[in-house]
Amino acid sequence: MKARAELIAGGVVVAILAAGPYLSPLIHVDLSIVSEVLVTALAVMSVNLLLGYTGLPAFGNAAYFGLGAYGAALSAKYLHVDFIGAVIIGTASALLGGLILAPFLLRRRGIYFGLLSIAFGQVFYFVAYRFTDVTGGEDGMNFPRPLVLGHYAINETVFFYVALAAFVGCLIAFRTVVRSPFGRTLVAIRQNEARVRYLGLNTDRFIFVALLISATLAGLGGALFGLLINFAYPLELDWHQSGFFVLMMILGGAGTVWGSLVGSFIYVIGKDIISTQTSYWQLYLGGLFVACVLAFPRGILGTLLARLKARPAAADSEPHG
Amino acid sequence: MTHDLAPQLFNGLVLGAFYGIVAIGLSLIMNLTGTINMAHGSFMTLAGYLAYTMVQRGMSFWVALIVAPLIVVIVGVLVERGLVRPLYKREPFYSLLMTFGLSLMAEEAFRLIWGPNGVPFSPPPALAGAAALGFMSFPTFRIFIAGVLIVAIVALALFLTRTRFGLRLRAAVQDTEMIAALGTNTQVLYAVNFGLGILLAGIAGVLAAGMLGLSPTSGNALLMPAFVTVIIGGMGSLFGSIVGGLLIGMAISLTTLFIPAASEVAMYILMAIVLLVRPRGLFGEEGIFG
Repeated sequence: MKARAELIAGGVVVAILAAGPYLSPLIHVDLSIVSEVLVTALAVMSVNLLLGYTGLPAFGNAAYFGLGAYGAALSAKYLHVDFIGAVIIGTASALLGGLILAPFLLRRRGIYFGLLSIAFGQVFYFVAYRFTDVTGGEDGMNFPRPLVLGHYAINETVFFYVALAAFVGCLIAFRTVVRSPFGRTLVAIRQNEARVRYLGLNTDRFIFVALLISATLAGLGGALFGLLINFAYPLELDWHQSGFFVLMMILGGAGTVWGSLVGSFIYVIGKDIISTQTSYWQLYLGGLFVACVLAFPRGILGTLLARLKARPAAADSEPHG
Repeated sequence: MTHDLAPQLFNGLVLGAFYGIVAIGLSLIMNLTGTINMAHGSFMTLAGYLAYTMVQRGMSFWVALIVAPLIVVIVGVLVERGLVRPLYKREPFYSLLMTFGLSLMAEEAFRLIWGPNGVPFSPPPALAGAAALGFMSFPTFRIFIAGVLIVAIVALALFLTRTRFGLRLRAAVQDTEMIAALGTNTQVLYAVNFGLGILLAGIAGVLAAGMLGLSPTSGNALLMPAFVTVIIGGMGSLFGSIVGGLLIGMAISLTTLFIPAASEVAMYILMAIVLLVRPRGLFGEEGIFG
């Protein structure tokens, strides 16, 4: 019953999204912005897996996102690979980054994990920032969007459907993962890692796999983002960007499958609208952080779902489901 | 190149002392409440700008050096009481997000009030110029900075180890519930502890403004090295933060001299090496945050 409701709701959302090329002009939003919502949602999902489900403060996922973007950009520019190749190389670069960082991050939990994520993520920022000859340094690097198989050009509409397909595919995969025994174990680790260990499970191994999945997801999002804007720049890798991903995750709802889309939608569209109205976008963004943390700690979808859950069991005295 | 070595090393030490003192402030706040204060750099910048404005209005640098950090402490304690305190009972990343949001707002506010570009903030005439140290000459202001930072660190160490309040603070880091049960008002501890961390940030902020420049993002530039300092020195260790800071300062200044392109990455490499050898950092205490 519940699964069916989710299927219907999800179907409706995807159907509305699929009509994006026709709907976006109605709200005066560029179609490429809607594509940005979708690819950003992948990065938010990657944070959600670590922070929302596993309870690890993933404040360094911009590193994987940026590695994806730079992987795609560099391979398109210097290796002249096609579109698919750029996506694969971008995603693989992020996975490789995850493989390099995981042994360090795995050692600690809690805020120490957050601190390590921020610090190690910053390495990639400085590498991109400093290797001006290759990466264009602070100015970033332009590159033409490669053709698919060297033949077929990808215009904004086609790109949008590519992004939508990637999003839906990843969402289904994400949902499958978090509902699998593996995903349940991640949630158990968030709730009480010591107990999971006493049950005989090697929690480090679970977190290792979660980190790699997260890096791959963020990398795919980053690669598509790079190909969307045909540009890669160091701030994509910066810890500020990591913080924005975490904000989007909280905004949507930590530990909810669809929350990533909700958070990314509000953030990206909101940024697009507000930054054309005022040059003090950062002031509003900071305010959004403060307001969200104080008033909406469970996020929009998280609050809604908790309401829905609470209604049939109103007599139940448990305060937070 | 070797004749540059001695001044460059001394530079590294002064820079490292900055990282150390910022890291100690971060560490104090982190150890007691689990809050990673992302707004720490903003408090430094604020202190710098306040001192700048005071000097502009004709006040002496010495007054500004004392008053600006104190004003920032008041702002800091208000922020802690009003915005951070409600989050203590939640997971720690909420307070990280909160302070991150505050730092974004602060940066924009600095830009609005003091302009988007850096402003010149030079040390007073008494500290201008260079002093001869026998084998090399070195800017007087940097020697002064080193002196102030050393005094501040010693004073803090004495406060934490020699006063009853400091004793309670350290006990609260070990077991907050127990110290509360024994009749200490932990809310006062939290507020004073936060203020103490901000005081260090404020002093460092004014001095850094004179040495490293003052712009809306200048304080944040010190935040990341301070994080790395905490990790290298080990959480929960004041001594570790000092050693870590000096190590990073030296590493940065030496790589700036020999391989300039790698100057920022150097500290991360140092951090990776330390973590491989000692996962808790050089002087990290067992059991603090896993």
